[in-house]
Amino acid sequence: MHDFLSILPLLIICAGAILLMLLSAFEKLQVEVASYVSMGFFGAAFFVQLLVGCGPETIVFSKTFNGMLMTSNFTMVAGLIILGCGFFTALSAHSYFKVNLFCTLEFYAIMMFGACGMLLLTMAQELITAFIALEIMSLSIYILVGYDRANVTSTEAILKYLMLGAFAGAFFTMGTALIYGGAGSTKFVEIGTYISANSAAKPLLIAGAFFILVAFLFKVAAFPFHAWVVDVYDGAATPVTGFMATALKTAVFAVFANFLALNGQLHSGWITFLFYVAVLTMFGGNLIAIGQSSLKRMLAASGIVHSGYLLIALVAISADHFTGSVIGYYLAAYAAGTLGIFAALSYLGGEGEKRASFDDFKGLAKVRPYSAAAITVFLLSMAGIPPTAGFMGKFYIITSAISAGQTALAVLGVVSSILSMWYYLRLIITMYFHEAEESFETVGSPLASAGTFALVVCVFAIGLYPIII
Amino acid sequence: MFEYALSVMIFLPILAGLAMLLFPISRGAARIAGMIVSLVILFMGIEMFIDFSGAGGMQYLESRPWIESLGITYGLGVDGISLLVLMTGAILFPMVFTIFTTQQKGYYANLLIAQGAMIGAICATDLVLFYIFWEIMLLPIFFMIGIWGGPKRLPATLKITIYTIAGSLLMLAALIYVGVSYHDQFGTWTFDIVQLGALDLGGGFAVLAFLMFMVAFAIKIPLFPFHTWLPDAYTEAPTATTFVLSGIMAKIGVYGVIRFVVPVFEIEFARFALLLSLAGVAGMMYCGLAAIAQKDMKRMLAFSSASHMGIIALGVFCMNVQALTGSLFQIAAHATSTGVLFLFVGLMEERMGTREIGDLGGVAYRAPVFATFFAIAMLASVGLPGTSGFIGEFLIILGAIKFNGFIGVLAGTSVIIGVCYMLWMFQRVFFEKTNDRAMGFQDLKASEVLTFIPVILLIMAMGVFPQTFIQKIEPAAQLQVAKVFAMTQSQVAETTVPTPGHNNHKN
Repeated sequence: MHDFLSILPLLIICAGAILLMLLSAFEKLQVEVASYVSMGFFGAAFFVQLLVGCGPETIVFSKTFNGMLMTSNFTMVAGLIILGCGFFTALSAHSYFKVNLFCTLEFYAIMMFGACGMLLLTMAQELITAFIALEIMSLSIYILVGYDRANVTSTEAILKYLMLGAFAGAFFTMGTALIYGGAGSTKFVEIGTYISANSAAKPLLIAGAFFILVAFLFKVAAFPFHAWVVDVYDGAATPVTGFMATALKTAVFAVFANFLALNGQLHSGWITFLFYVAVLTMFGGNLIAIGQSSLKRMLAASGIVHSGYLLIALVAISADHFTGSVIGYYLAAYAAGTLGIFAALSYLGGEGEKRASFDDFKGLAKVRPYSAAAITVFLLSMAGIPPTAGFMGKFYIITSAISAGQTALAVLGVVSSILSMWYYLRLIITMYFHEAEESFETVGSPLASAGTFALVVCVFAIGLYPIII
Repeated sequence: MFEYALSVMIFLPILAGLAMLLFPISRGAARIAGMIVSLVILFMGIEMFIDFSGAGGMQYLESRPWIESLGITYGLGVDGISLLVLMTGAILFPMVFTIFTTQQKGYYANLLIAQGAMIGAICATDLVLFYIFWEIMLLPIFFMIGIWGGPKRLPATLKITIYTIAGSLLMLAALIYVGVSYHDQFGTWTFDIVQLGALDLGGGFAVLAFLMFMVAFAIKIPLFPFHTWLPDAYTEAPTATTFVLSGIMAKIGVYGVIRFVVPVFEIEFARFALLLSLAGVAGMMYCGLAAIAQKDMKRMLAFSSASHMGIIALGVFCMNVQALTGSLFQIAAHATSTGVLFLFVGLMEERMGTREIGDLGGVAYRAPVFATFFAIAMLASVGLPGTSGFIGEFLIILGAIKFNGFIGVLAGTSVIIGVCYMLWMFQRVFFEKTNDRAMGFQDLKASEVLTFIPVILLIMAMGVFPQTFIQKIEPAAQLQVAKVFAMTQSQVAETTVPTPGHNNHKN
């Protein structure tokens, strides 16, 4: 029974997606209604996930699935974040598509399919399952990115993402094949046992692990596989960008952490590699972000930096007693801040996303003080200023890094966050210290703004009551 | 009755400020509300001061677990070290609300938030809690300078913000290093400052962490090579913000060194004390000389404030009871003198539209009351006997001579620089030629006189009856110095290598 309950959220979302897909065939339903439906399903799944909770690690349906799926506190938290992201994305999409009219019913269905893939990915304990989940997720995201077919940047974005994503998928398959050849299994646990019994220094295992790491690093936009992220985030519709930046990253980091934590030997073998990747990701991301003039591009680049912080946490995870609490907490904090700012951009952006650059937001605080205050809170959270969630997230990550003996990495992380102050403060300065040049009138539904303010509360709530799993 | 007094003093202003921002009220109502809140804090502060026993330990303790997995507590308390710093944060605010009546409500709200956060930073006994308030108190300053500052406010805002945040993020890393080291040595997590004192740190990372802490505090104080943000920020900030910055926030930097750096890093502190005190003296001289050359009154006071912060910091680095007591005393004295001078300059700017020393003159003939008040605050600032400034500077220089004769002599001579720029400025602004601008200068109104009288009396009371204040802070200072000495002595004893030919039994 508990097995069934723990995958119930996944089933709910899947059922909702199929339902919406069927409904869209009749062409009777309004797009707004579809967004309410998907909100309802995301909300229901969120509460089920919360109520079911999850005790210790459980193999779900061990006979039927042969240990392919496992739930733990960590997957539960990752699932909650993904479901929450889905809910708030549907909320901001509702407002966004009131003024940008290219949405059809399938949008929400595909988004929910994507969420299914993500939920599956967090639970995956085996490479083939992970690959299938990864592809379900990626295919949905490809479609969402290119949803506005008439838009050139959007088309460019999907082309870039699809080509490179396909390569990453191919790398992942290749890595799976090589690891299977080396270790004789695709299950994380059995790979781990094989490596600790023998040695990881087999050519097949080294190459396999390398390919799989490349695929993961591509999906989280880590250096040197980060170049796509700026253009893709820029080309996608704002709510989709928010969804990609948060839910997708959560799912991939969850499976990444599971993969590394269960293979202690593998983790220690690749730790130097991950160390340099983390450092270069942070500093590379900062350099890109400092030069941007468009908000979405800046946020995309700051997403790279946050991937770098999460990589610090990955370097610091200990295989012996892995709980994923630091990563889970940071992902939640990051998701609340990022989703919030994208929700705000969804309704402030206006028709055709006409307000997109820093200069377009000059003097926002004079005209719409509450929106400007909300954006400020999100930016401060991303910058890691107390008492927001981002501060506690950064605190945990630095603590875990220093505890793991990675003091140099912790200091470099701090230096990187000093650099990142530049572009976060820049937006605050633009909003507050300049005179308003326009009236920032927005039409459409108030749902996105409601979502924005709910997320402000989330940012403070997560920050002040840091519940560690 | 004072069980939750500190929490109230922290969160009443913060909540009032946030409420002001959220609800649409008029600026007049905002000012009145701010004044009421600051008066409540004032009375609580006075009551607390009278009630304070001065036994050396913490009083008004509050402690409850907050994040148990990392041993972070919501811990507050006041002892002799924080008492006078807390008083400066608690009792000087009503002046700001009575004198500056024309600001917007957001400005008053930010002032209140700044006050709450500063009191929080002063009272926190948990390192993480301190850090949180330390960061929060920068935000209102950022907005106040950026929105309501002078013409060159943007570069000034960016400078102070990036400077300070860079320092505090480094401190965050160092702070976590301290917590993790405690966990490694004792097996439990805590960030409580009393327990962290038991830490035995050593090695390269400890020195690095110490330097990171010191950089953060040195930026805030500001200590000599890190002072470059100060003239711009102090000059461009609106008067009340400059007052808060120089009167209270800079002191929290010094206080942070005494409270958090000295107990944890005794060895490193002792090792770097000479270098740091040289930085303090160099800051005193350099900023004092720079002040002589300034044409803008506010900028001159900014440099003078930096110069005085040098001597206050010097008192901490000397590590003896006299100097430490002097520093703690001087913290309050400096807030009442230089802080109030900033308010006076703000008043002059409001009435005459200029701060250029060259454009002013003969104010004393038009406004004798104002000139008298200004003179008293100014004389306290240069350390005339009978005023508050004398006691603090005297004790610090005494301690400095005890610590190192050379430093003491340098500190003593650079006090003279202060007399030069202050008196010269006073002569040019208040006497000499009169011009039309000064002819139109209104003397203080009755309400303003009433506002300033208590502070002026306080300046003189602190100078004439210093014992009232010193007896409350001295036990804590003695305790602190004794603890540091015990630690450094035992460390030295442990590391002493018995040399051949030296009779170890004799000792």
